Amino acid sequence: MTVEAGTAVPSGDAHEGGDNYLTHETGLKSWLFTLDHKRIGLMYLVSVLVMFFLGGVMALLVRTELLFNGETIMEADTYNKVFTLHGAIMVFLFIIPSVPAAMGNFFLPIMLGAKDVAFPRLNLASFWIYGFGTIFAIVAIVAGSVDTGWTFYTPYSARADSSVIWMTLAAFILGFSSILTGVNFIATVHKMRAPGIHWKRLPLFIWGIYATSVIQVLATPVLAITLLLLIMEKTLTIGIFDPALGGDPVLYQHFFWFYSHPAVYIMILPGMAVVNELIATFSQRKIFGYMFVAMSSVALALLGFLVWGHHMFTSGMSEYATMVFSALTFLVAIPSGVKVFNWVATLYEGSISFASPMLYGLSFIVLFTIGGLTGLFLGTLSTDIHLHDTYFVVAHFHYVMVGGTVFGFLGGLHYWWPKMTGKMYDEKLARVSWFLVFVGFNVTFFSQFIMGSQGMPRRYYDYLDQFQPLHMASSGGAYILGLGFIVMAYLFWKSLRSGEKAPPNPWASAGYEWMTTTPPHPHNFAETPVMKRGPYDYHLCTEEELWDGFPEDFEAKKAKA
Amino acid sequence: MTEPQGTVQLPPQLSTIAPEVDDMYYLIYWISVVFFVVITGAMLYFMYKYRRRPGRKAKAPGHATALEIAWTVAPLFLLVYLFHMGFQTYIHGSVAPDDAVDVRVRAMQWNWEFEHPGGVIDEMNLFKVPVNKPVRVIMSSSDVLHSLFIPAFRVKRDAVPGMYTSLWFEATELTDDRECEVDADCPEAHQCGRNGTCALPLFCTEYCGAPQNIQDSAGRNTNHSTMMADVRVITQEAYQEFLELGPPPPPECEGSDDMMECWGEQLYAVNGCVGCHSVDGSAGPAPTWQGLWGAQRAFDGGGSAVADENYIRESILQPQANIVEGYTAVNMPPYRLSDRQIDAIIAYMQTLSE
Ligand code: HEC
Ligand SMILES: [Cu+2]
Ligand SMILES: [Cu+2]
Repeated sequence: MTVEAGTAVPSGDAHEGGDNYLTHETGLKSWLFTLDHKRIGLMYLVSVLVMFFLGGVMALLVRTELLFNGETIMEADTYNKVFTLHGAIMVFLFIIPSVPAAMGNFFLPIMLGAKDVAFPRLNLASFWIYGFGTIFAIVAIVAGSVDTGWTFYTPYSARADSSVIWMTLAAFILGFSSILTGVNFIATVHKMRAPGIHWKRLPLFIWGIYATSVIQVLATPVLAITLLLLIMEKTLTIGIFDPALGGDPVLYQHFFWFYSHPAVYIMILPGMAVVNELIATFSQRKIFGYMFVAMSSVALALLGFLVWGHHMFTSGMSEYATMVFSALTFLVAIPSGVKVFNWVATLYEGSISFASPMLYGLSFIVLFTIGGLTGLFLGTLSTDIHLHDTYFVVAHFHYVMVGGTVFGFLGGLHYWWPKMTGKMYDEKLARVSWFLVFVGFNVTFFSQFIMGSQGMPRRYYDYLDQFQPLHMASSGGAYILGLGFIVMAYLFWKSLRSGEKAPPNPWASAGYEWMTTTPPHPHNFAETPVMKRGPYDYHLCTEEELWDGFPEDFEAKKAKA
Repeated sequence: MTEPQGTVQLPPQLSTIAPEVDDMYYLIYWISVVFFVVITGAMLYFMYKYRRRPGRKAKAPGHATALEIAWTVAPLFLLVYLFHMGFQTYIHGSVAPDDAVDVRVRAMQWNWEFEHPGGVIDEMNLFKVPVNKPVRVIMSSSDVLHSLFIPAFRVKRDAVPGMYTSLWFEATELTDDRECEVDADCPEAHQCGRNGTCALPLFCTEYCGAPQNIQDSAGRNTNHSTMMADVRVITQEAYQEFLELGPPPPPECEGSDDMMECWGEQLYAVNGCVGCHSVDGSAGPAPTWQGLWGAQRAFDGGGSAVADENYIRESILQPQANIVEGYTAVNMPPYRLSDRQIDAIIAYMQTLSE
């Protein structure tokens, strides 16, 4: 017999005390050599959280150094290494794998009603490669004392020693892991959908991860080519990037951004993907303009390949190239706008709950809007000339990467935490930490917009007196942000230790992933589900599946039980 | 005369292109404000109106293809307009007028050298600019990437090793070069510059590293975040005089009785002659300057001359013309110093031969 979703009651309580993926097998080996996508996802989650912590410590060191003019806690040289570490760790080791590898791995097969990804062994391999790449990267940065910033621009990076090669190699190993994950996900989405999940019923989370996977598979090889060229230059002394050998340093920037701009979409699309789920669940409404939202992800993925030159408007690139890149960059605003408009329209006539995951979802809309709109200043040539390489840019991409991706990631973490761990967390503390993170983030980075437009260059160890108050405000914000994360770490720790047992569907979601038991069955579903409705068809859900109309779903559910 | 004021967001407009850039900035700013207010306003309103409460049931959305197409296409017009306006100003800022003064800028870790027409090289990290006259900056770099950025002029361009890049601007206001001790003593958006006078800051905005923390003995910069220069806008007459006479003596020597000797000693230190030439007779890679003036010099490969004005001048401008006997191991690089500077060095040398 098969479970027919839409008619069947979630079988959570039936499995009370039953088998789940956490208890199915035990011992360290059962984790390290597991083929279960959920366990692999969880291991990714732990690794990226460790990296997030490391990158966060670096960020606080940077902000503390900038608290006052002149030397505060470290020398200029150390400062350069610390901000390099911050950028490289956050981009390559945290943000890129955060949502796709951790949450994608865990939820993509469940949301498809599949038993696992298409190639479970490949999945484990890509986790191992990620682990190896992470260690490699950290050793490369620390041993090579890389102080180039995360962009590794030549010829500065090529001068001292070969550390840039090691770093690119690390990025490539990590990229290889992304390629394998990407291929795996693409195959899974195409081949493993449960009966009834046709393309128009694909959860938007999956659409986003799917688009991300396509970029990963197409863009990462360019990184390998760059690496090959760097190695050839170094060993055969063929001039490619180093002008001392007759090479062209601007060419390196083209290569770097040809990968790294699409990488920006590798980072933001998954954040958007999570937000779709949050907005739908907590408004109990299908995402407005579902197909437009899905297609906007694909459009962003493709457009992302055509705009890399917008990082190089002042680099000495030709005026024609500059013109074309500026024009194409403006096009990116269209699909981004479509998403934001549709999210807001989804709230209309919804039944909106303000549970902690939704607070992150709603903040995402606000912060991403700011990040996107400030992108207009940078896409416009005349204003970009003034703003390029100032704190304005720093603030802009933090609004997109942190206000966007990281808020999406945190929203997803709060949203799926009960499903992944089987435990609830303290909602009050979650709101407190959200508040601190939201306020801290805005104080940190809004002041940087003003600094930047006033002319404060980025990557400066020291600054003119006029910037002192804004730098102090920014550092103060960073401490609030840090405090928010400490509260968050505490609440999750507390949940693991003594959290209440989570029901199968605490948020009253119609999403497919909530139909299985909590924590999920080792094979996700005891029997292959047949989906008779879409993941957002709240109007087709039975009262048992959903309990709406009360301010506190979880409380209500308990009362009912 | 009132200085143009900056705003909360932007520094004062001190070049002809600045108002154009700022108009664009504010246009985008207000567009952004409108979008932001509409989006978050709608969001907050819906959040309140449709908040979950007993009895509230969400309605499933229907199809709204017309609306979707409208908000996909409508922004396109705005974006095309923004692109067009931005590009226009950019092109205006890229093509220098024909009557522009050409200044060559050489960026190096972590200093800026400015060479004005006629080969006049000013003190390191000091950029004199004539007011109301277009200036075209032609940049090169001798090591890594740098980027020249003058916020008050709204100009920026990378200096790339192995190629020339350029930008231009026309300054509209004389710099108020009052004396100062800290940046706060200076007018808005100015810094307290190297000689204790206010100047406009010129930043390096392309990361170029940092081995140490401090400025070296000759007052040069030693890391990316101190790779700054003073921009000083002067009258056209003063600029013309500067081109004719070359750089003036440093303020600590000006007006003193032994002005030239003092200046010569300063040039000896600042230009790095001190690295090879001693002034106390001690041996080194190059002949000592003690007792040099008026002495008979014998050259490698035969010939000799008396160390007089012409000889010293030639030794500085074309060191390889005659090599002093026994000093072939190290090559002295040619220095492009102005006549007055060479006179100052000679005056200083004379004091070493008394
Ligand atoms: C890299 C080392 C080096 C530096 C720096 C250097 N010189 Fe020299 N200089 C030499 C050497 C070697 C000679 C002797 C060979 C020659 O005549 O070219 C020399 C010769 C001279 C002579 C002729 C001396 C004589 O004994 O006849 C003069 C004058 C002179 N230098 C002036 C200067 C001045 C002025 C500066 C700084 C602006 C300077 N040099 C910087 C290496 C240097
Ligand atoms: Cu980009
Ligand atoms: Cu520099």
